[in-house]
Amino acid sequence: MDKKLHLIGNAHLDPIWLWRWQEGCGEVLQTFRSALDRLNEYDDFVFTCSSAAYYRWVEEIDPEMFAEIKRMVRKGRWVPVNGWWVQPDCNMPSGESFARQALYSQLYYYEKFGKICNSGYNVDSFGHNAMIPQLLVKGGMKYYVMMRPDLRENPDAPSPLFWWESADGSRVLTYRIPTGYAGDGKKTLDYKIETLSDISEKKGHDCMLFYGVGNHGGGPTKGDIEHLIEKSENGEAELEFSSPDDYFESICASAVDLPVWSDELQHHASGCYSATSMVKQLNRKAEGWLAAAEKWNTIASRTLGIKAQTENFAEAWRNVCFNQFHDILCGCSIMEAYEDVRDTMGYAMTVAANAENNALLKISSNIDTWIDGVSDSVSCNDRHHCRNLKYPRPVVVFNPHSWEIEVPVRTYHPSKKVEDWQHNEVPYQNVRSSRSNDSHMDTLFVAKVPAMGYAVYWLWLIDFDEDDEYDYTKETDVKASEANGAITVENKYIKVTFNSATGGISSLVNKEDGEEYAGAENFCVPTVFDNTKPDTWAHNIFKFDTVVDTMKLESIRLVEEGPVRSVVRTVHKYNDSALTQDFILASEQKELRVKCKAIWQEPLTILKMPFPMKGEDGISTYEIPAGFIKRPCNGEEEPALKWGDLTVTDNGVRKGIAVMSDSKYSYSCPENELRITLLRNSIFADHYSYRPDALFNYTDEGLQRFEYAVYPHSGDIKPCEATARAEVFTYKPVTVPASYHKGTLPQYKSYITVDAANVIVNAVKFCEDGSGDAIIRCSETCGKVTKAMIKCDIFDAAFYAEFKPNEIKTFRVDSEGFVTQTDFLEGIPED
Amino acid sequence: MKNTYTLKPHLCRFSKFYKKDSAEVPSALFEVKCEAPDLSDFPLPLPSRKSDYCCYVQAADGAMWYGASNGLTRYDSKAERKADAVMYFSADRDLPDNSVKALYADEKGVWVLTENGVTLIELRMISAREKADILLEETTKYVDRRGMITQKHLAVPGDVTSAFPYGHSDNDGCFTASFTMGELYRYAVLKREKGADHPETLKAKAVATRSAEAVLLLTYIHGRGNGFVARTYLCADEPLPDDGLFFRKTGGKATCLKTSFAEKKGISGLEIDASAPIPDRLAHLYKDLGYTDDDIVYKADTSSDEISTHYLFMLVAHEILGEDDPELDAIIKETVIRITDFIIDNGYQLLDYSGEPTTWAKWNTEYFETPFGWVDACLNSAEMLMYLKVAMAIAGKEERWQKSYEELIEKGYADLPMKHFDRLYQSCLSMGCAFEEEIMYGDHMLATVSLFGLCTLEKDEELLAKYRKAYKTWRTSIAREHNPGYDFPYAVACPDEELDMDTIATWFYRTNASRLAAGVSLVGRKDVAVIRHSEEYKEVAGVLPPDECFISKYDRNTLEYKNEDSGGLNVVESCYVYSYAYWMGRYYGFIKDEGENING
Repeated sequence: MDKKLHLIGNAHLDPIWLWRWQEGCGEVLQTFRSALDRLNEYDDFVFTCSSAAYYRWVEEIDPEMFAEIKRMVRKGRWVPVNGWWVQPDCNMPSGESFARQALYSQLYYYEKFGKICNSGYNVDSFGHNAMIPQLLVKGGMKYYVMMRPDLRENPDAPSPLFWWESADGSRVLTYRIPTGYAGDGKKTLDYKIETLSDISEKKGHDCMLFYGVGNHGGGPTKGDIEHLIEKSENGEAELEFSSPDDYFESICASAVDLPVWSDELQHHASGCYSATSMVKQLNRKAEGWLAAAEKWNTIASRTLGIKAQTENFAEAWRNVCFNQFHDILCGCSIMEAYEDVRDTMGYAMTVAANAENNALLKISSNIDTWIDGVSDSVSCNDRHHCRNLKYPRPVVVFNPHSWEIEVPVRTYHPSKKVEDWQHNEVPYQNVRSSRSNDSHMDTLFVAKVPAMGYAVYWLWLIDFDEDDEYDYTKETDVKASEANGAITVENKYIKVTFNSATGGISSLVNKEDGEEYAGAENFCVPTVFDNTKPDTWAHNIFKFDTVVDTMKLESIRLVEEGPVRSVVRTVHKYNDSALTQDFILASEQKELRVKCKAIWQEPLTILKMPFPMKGEDGISTYEIPAGFIKRPCNGEEEPALKWGDLTVTDNGVRKGIAVMSDSKYSYSCPENELRITLLRNSIFADHYSYRPDALFNYTDEGLQRFEYAVYPHSGDIKPCEATARAEVFTYKPVTVPASYHKGTLPQYKSYITVDAANVIVNAVKFCEDGSGDAIIRCSETCGKVTKAMIKCDIFDAAFYAEFKPNEIKTFRVDSEGFVTQTDFLEGIPED
Repeated sequence: MKNTYTLKPHLCRFSKFYKKDSAEVPSALFEVKCEAPDLSDFPLPLPSRKSDYCCYVQAADGAMWYGASNGLTRYDSKAERKADAVMYFSADRDLPDNSVKALYADEKGVWVLTENGVTLIELRMISAREKADILLEETTKYVDRRGMITQKHLAVPGDVTSAFPYGHSDNDGCFTASFTMGELYRYAVLKREKGADHPETLKAKAVATRSAEAVLLLTYIHGRGNGFVARTYLCADEPLPDDGLFFRKTGGKATCLKTSFAEKKGISGLEIDASAPIPDRLAHLYKDLGYTDDDIVYKADTSSDEISTHYLFMLVAHEILGEDDPELDAIIKETVIRITDFIIDNGYQLLDYSGEPTTWAKWNTEYFETPFGWVDACLNSAEMLMYLKVAMAIAGKEERWQKSYEELIEKGYADLPMKHFDRLYQSCLSMGCAFEEEIMYGDHMLATVSLFGLCTLEKDEELLAKYRKAYKTWRTSIAREHNPGYDFPYAVACPDEELDMDTIATWFYRTNASRLAAGVSLVGRKDVAVIRHSEEYKEVAGVLPPDECFISKYDRNTLEYKNEDSGGLNVVESCYVYSYAYWMGRYYGFIKDEGENING
């Protein structure tokens, strides 16, 4: 018995799960009080607790208790762990979200306790993306405690102690809890002591024993603590009250060789990446909007003096981070909890909307859009930009991405001509609007907008009295036709033919290689899968592959045809449910965009969209937070972010299909068929399917609006290209109607330049310390060592940096434009 | 072999310094009207703040030169490679100081007036091969010391012609061995391409042979008759450095000379045996200069660094020179037998003058189990295995060595090298420091030597897979340097790995044509992000081109945000950093040279 067991007293606290957050908050207060009492009663007892959000609740509600905690932290007896706001889901938040989890939490810990957390700690999170080591290290953490998947779910990954490494080489010393994070009562504790003692002897190193009442809080009881003291004093085991920090430090100081794991850690709850689409959609939207709004706020603040909204953004992000808690974002909490999620995400997005609007209008109002003579008009209609028939009206298109984009954008009201900032005519098309009044038409035109910048376009309005139909004389690459009942749409890149019987795609040809990409008749035919057996999490179920039926085509027709795009609308039905899809093929675009509206009423079902291919040597690749991963095509349900890809070799030709989505996180790939999971209709918080006879509510019932896109590509997928396309697809440029005014800004401007296509800018913000220094965060997206030039004139910054594969780099730019590479914590905590 | 990359002629910077009152300086330099350039729309990162630029001039080739208060910037908007569009020139290497006052361009180049003097900067079009020749000439002329090639101190700062005739280094053997390998590859390439009797080939052979003899001599110079390898030796009329233990040979004995360390150990005056003969083939290096065996002062310690490079050198020399020079090859065989047996017979360690183990030359499990040895084991285990493989490759498959090799494999030696990064990282966490700070950059060379040797000699697939895995583990830190001298052997050993040849080309193009160790300015550079690992230890966020980095051997972190102390203006270094990489690249077909002799 020369190995020690480090006793980790903890209380697993779910702030929302089978209860709403108010109850979770109360649970935190009670648990913290209890832990303090135990600390006062037992001199050696140590308490470990995660989640900055909980500490802030206590600080605000019970400052006296918070002061007690601070004293215990100083003594090393209360150990805050996990420099993240909560214990989030570790698959679905974006890389930037993880950065914010660390930023706001570690700075909170630093401010309140004078130190940051060394140990990451997500003991209940349901799976872990392969970038976690880097996301922890760049958030100031060196060690990690996790539990899921357990050894039964993933026997290949090491246990309990190993080095976990991500693609950039970042690594954390990781402990996979073998005997559960909670535990109380003599029997349980004795079992844990025996089991862990065996593991320690076998592995040749100490282990951690986690104990304490958990899930709904609680923590170590007096009985537990006394039992452990007794066991130790009796010499039955070498036990020591400890913390993860102390445990890991003792391991590092010993000469022990540990295995290295360089992969993700999956799967535990495979249903969590598709259940409750609403929360996922809100998360995706809030992440992108906040990031974009903060970029524009920072730019407008720096250049035009509007107020920096750093603290407002921080609070908005804290709400998003809170809602990334694993039981929330995974869609497995009670239905009522999602009312709170909707409210708090609404708050976050209101912050984003206000900040973005202020910034964009401020920038717009400083662009020189003056037209000589416009002030001579006496008619209200002439001056009013929406009614002006004499002069073109300016609109400013803003691109939040760090690369130039060329995409269709939409403005209200129809036009008879569109010109760019140099007065070159550009393709446009008047398309049906969502409103029923006035002209019923909006203008769609293809805008080319520089990296993180804007471009002014000039729209010549149509008189209400004029006919809606216009002869679009501009040449276009978009064509549509119907032959033998089958509709075909094409542009210079792809040609799509629809199956008039199924409404699916019977042919998808990539003109670059002339290859056929639709591999079977069910290509893009909405398919219903069985979801009867799985609970909300889908515990112990890793594939959803039992087909119930395909949705039946009700109608298919070509609803738009013009120089900017063609649109084919299909309507499918299954029982009482309907799916309407607008297949949009636009000029100069390499992907087919599909705008969906589902009215879903089928309990315990899953709706997937399949994309079968012909060929062999299939590899599926998926976007994960700030990176990508390749996985076997084994049909298991896989978490991913905005895109998934299947690439195969067909008759010696390598080709693939990437599917992107604006709000989905779950994919599967059985052999040569990539599927995106569009809906998963489970009972709310259906834990291990104990289902009494009741009128249940379902996670995905009712109206759902979402979009996906299909991108056929020659050769292997280029992850950087897929990521960039998915970013633009999800976070579209913003179009701001402008007025006529003189200004100092040109009509076309970029605020940032990055010379490597595989290095993208995730964040531009002000440093949290109020110094006025700028923070620019970038990530490498192709998995290659890359030297990139980053240039941002408004901060007088122009510099080079070398990125490791999938590395996220955070740069801090001082007032003179000198750049320091820091991490998510912005260089604020001092050593 | 992947496609061979063609290196092209490129611009190389040459600075010539003048006093302000020198007659050679054009008077126009003092008369030009200085105006700050308008750099508001400058498209690329600038090394200095825009507000620091105070003057500019356009050179004959169309490039713009911008003078600033902290250095000089050249901008060529038509540069063929983006990496060469902006170049930065700074003190002490390119300028006497960084405060540029005026610029003037004529047919000779760009004249730069700074606070303390005038510099003429010329950018000359040369080939990578020509650069290798220029560097070799400088090294053989000013750095060579009886065939030993390490570095030389200068009597006049900045003037390589003023190199002292004497000097020494703890790693004379190691660095000379590395230099020699480069020259051996040169010889092999020229022999292959131009024929054995071509004057260039013969010259290359002479240089390689001389240095090979110098390296081999270190195993015999002490006269102990065993496989001990001295770090270096001096001749009696050279100043004695107060740096470790030195023994003076006289009449078949060697006496410990008085140094601080000898005094501390209480062994000044200690006499030991030195009667073993030195092969005439090697002794001629000092005897030709008029010295005798009684004029020798040798350094009486050694390290694993020395031994490892000696071994790979012996392998390369045996393979390239062996057939041409049987006499030397016989000495190589004798040397490898001596050292190998000496190490094995003494329990996988080298013994010093007293019969005790040396501080660093240890490869046994007892050492590996010490706290320091636990981390060191990952390198030293690979070294020991490599020694045995090399010994067998040179001297035949001696049964005793094969047995030792198998015993060590049995003890886990083949598994240890791949644990290098794990143990180093764990050790860094334990000490609370960044691993970048804790890396021994000299170990990159030793790991390369060991794993390259193992991967090229081992035929057993299972063992080879382990060695390759270990090599890939080491690349975690080695690859950060972007040094083709590391990249080429790695690609030979692990043929499935891709090399970034554009970055490698930049390294060749942007290496200076002199190894004067003058520093450069990094503080105040605005065009590269800085990483602060600790208050004392900073790095740049991407390696700078060699002509904008400090000069060093293969033993320093080129990303470090300061001028590593290599002696600065007072030292000229060996050319091997460039020549070894260049000729190895040619030898293995990674590179070829377009316009090899464009300047005749």
